[in-house]
Amino acid sequence: MVAHEPPILEVRDLRTYFFPDEGTVKAVDGVSFEVFAGRTLGIVGESGCGKSVTAKSILRIVERPGRIVGGEIHLRAPAGNGRAATVDLVKLDPSGAEIRGIRGGDIGLVFQEPMTSFSPVHTVGNQMEETIRLHTRVEKAAARERAIEMLRLVGIPKPERRIDEYAFQLSGGLRQRAMIAVALSCHPRILIADEPTTALDVTTQAQILDLLRSLQAQERMAIVLITHNLGVVAEMCDEVVVMYLGRVVERGSVDAIFHAPKHPYTRALLRSIPSIRAAVRTKLPTIAGSIPHPYNRPSGCPFHPRCPERIPGVCDLSEPGPRVVGDGQAASCFLYEESR
Amino acid sequence: MTAADRPPGRVLEVTGLRKYFPIRQGFLRKVAGQVRAVDDVSFYVDRGETLALVGESGCGKTTTSRCILRAISPTEGQIVFHTDMGRVVDIARLSKHRLRPLRRQMQMIFQDPFSSLNPRKTLLDIVGEPLLVNGMKNRRDRVDRVSELLRLVGMRPEYMRRFPHAFSGGQRQRVGIARALALNPSLIVADEPVSALDVSVQAQILNLMLDLQAQLGLTYLFVAHDLSVVKHVSDRVAVMYVGQIVEMAPTVPLFTTPKHPYTEALLSAVPKPDPRLRVKRIVLEGEVADPAHPPSGCYFHPRCPYAVPVCRVERPKLEAVAPGHFVSCHRARELSLKGVE
Repeated sequence: MVAHEPPILEVRDLRTYFFPDEGTVKAVDGVSFEVFAGRTLGIVGESGCGKSVTAKSILRIVERPGRIVGGEIHLRAPAGNGRAATVDLVKLDPSGAEIRGIRGGDIGLVFQEPMTSFSPVHTVGNQMEETIRLHTRVEKAAARERAIEMLRLVGIPKPERRIDEYAFQLSGGLRQRAMIAVALSCHPRILIADEPTTALDVTTQAQILDLLRSLQAQERMAIVLITHNLGVVAEMCDEVVVMYLGRVVERGSVDAIFHAPKHPYTRALLRSIPSIRAAVRTKLPTIAGSIPHPYNRPSGCPFHPRCPERIPGVCDLSEPGPRVVGDGQAASCFLYEESR
Repeated sequence: MTAADRPPGRVLEVTGLRKYFPIRQGFLRKVAGQVRAVDDVSFYVDRGETLALVGESGCGKTTTSRCILRAISPTEGQIVFHTDMGRVVDIARLSKHRLRPLRRQMQMIFQDPFSSLNPRKTLLDIVGEPLLVNGMKNRRDRVDRVSELLRLVGMRPEYMRRFPHAFSGGQRQRVGIARALALNPSLIVADEPVSALDVSVQAQILNLMLDLQAQLGLTYLFVAHDLSVVKHVSDRVAVMYVGQIVEMAPTVPLFTTPKHPYTEALLSAVPKPDPRLRVKRIVLEGEVADPAHPPSGCYFHPRCPYAVPVCRVERPKLEAVAPGHFVSCHRARELSLKGVE
């Protein structure tokens, strides 16, 4: 990881637990990473690994019975007069004025489901104008101008007409573009995209990924891309964080993760994905078993029951912490105990 | 009789299949137009092979598979099915009553393992249901057959008294496969069987489908949108766009030397899981055509980077460019398109 400047977002030892009646679910359990301006961080993992809860924790929109129980999320304010102040988002009141200014202002969010994220009874333009006027003091007409400009920027044809349409009148690809336009309308410094292309077809996905890349180049925005699609990660990200059951099992540069993965889970995951470059009709290596139920969290390393390289008497008893395994690469695994 | 004992040859021949859905408007629900969900589709499936139908959402792949199962009735066309007994019947025209005995020979694997299993029934009831309906009245026999089926899909027979909620997505999909296999069908239609599963579980189910095919000589019609998944299981692939097959070929030539510009764009759009391979993708302009108001000529021409004037006026026919390789493009023979190695 090349850090030319301090990160604009730093998550340290974040813990977000859910407390339903049946017990405690440690959805996010000690997650740390940094986000740099102009770069893309990928958070990868399968369902239940806590990647979406991490995003919600940053924006402080975790639903009850969930709660952040520990850790810090430092957001660096824009460098004005040489001093860069930071705010700890965990300490803010989740419904206070400050976090509401950050949500949609400093940090934009793109959800997976473009259909359910828009209000069905307001036009796209209405919702965009509301966002813009919440964060900047502009007249209604100026907000509308800006909304049209954003829609044009994300490649929606005839934006002056589309702005008065409802979300259901747009196709999936256009809706996702509109969603991105809303998220970008206040020029955020960080864009969190939670599975932005999962609901889309491959050709539309290619359009959206290209769009995100060119917008990032223009605005020097940081992107946090949350996805289970390793192909998308390989094409988009600079750094990658791999999560499993609420913990970061490995982090490193995209090249290290794909070409020198160290954690057994990362390796198994990479081997098991169907690839378009594979030989025809070949069997895939698999990961034994399935993701444990959140109430049934294994003791020790969360991956040990499925791990082909587990060390009996070690992995099932204590939990490994992150160990440096390469240049900017760390893996939480006892295999690298001695290489500290 | 197991599937392997069946004579080789065709299982299914679809010719000129069309399915139009009426668009009704106004107070009197007058028909204002037609959605051409499936628009003149022809293909065949041989015994023991896997044919994949791929395409993006709304291309008609699911409607095609539902017509074949006669879950819906086609508007036009023939669906010729070769039965176990060597009879040849056109399913498209059969009455409900005459269709019933044929239904056991065609089974389906569903996309969503959470909604396709009845939560109030045990695995024994779920997998045993098709056996009961088709005359296996003796409970002992059913228990034996269900144990055998569960073992076949890699599940412990002791689980048969449990309910679906006790199982993970991958295990439920195995139950769905066991149910589809219960009656030794000639043809299994699998509609997106792994797209609702986690990445690490997808591989298990794809491997299981390949194993079962080798073991039992099964025939699959595999409907999917994910080309990477398709490459792992298919012998042949048919690519659909706006209700039509634009290209159909054995898997290797389709991926390495595609002949239709749409196939090329699809292959190029799939993200490759290797950061060293970030190449310029072909990004298609615009959107998929509306099947209610398809463009003139070739349906793909408004988005096609290689379109020439003739594409706008004349609709291309699906023609062979090599043995077994069919393309519907005016320029199929002159273009040299890029596939994946």
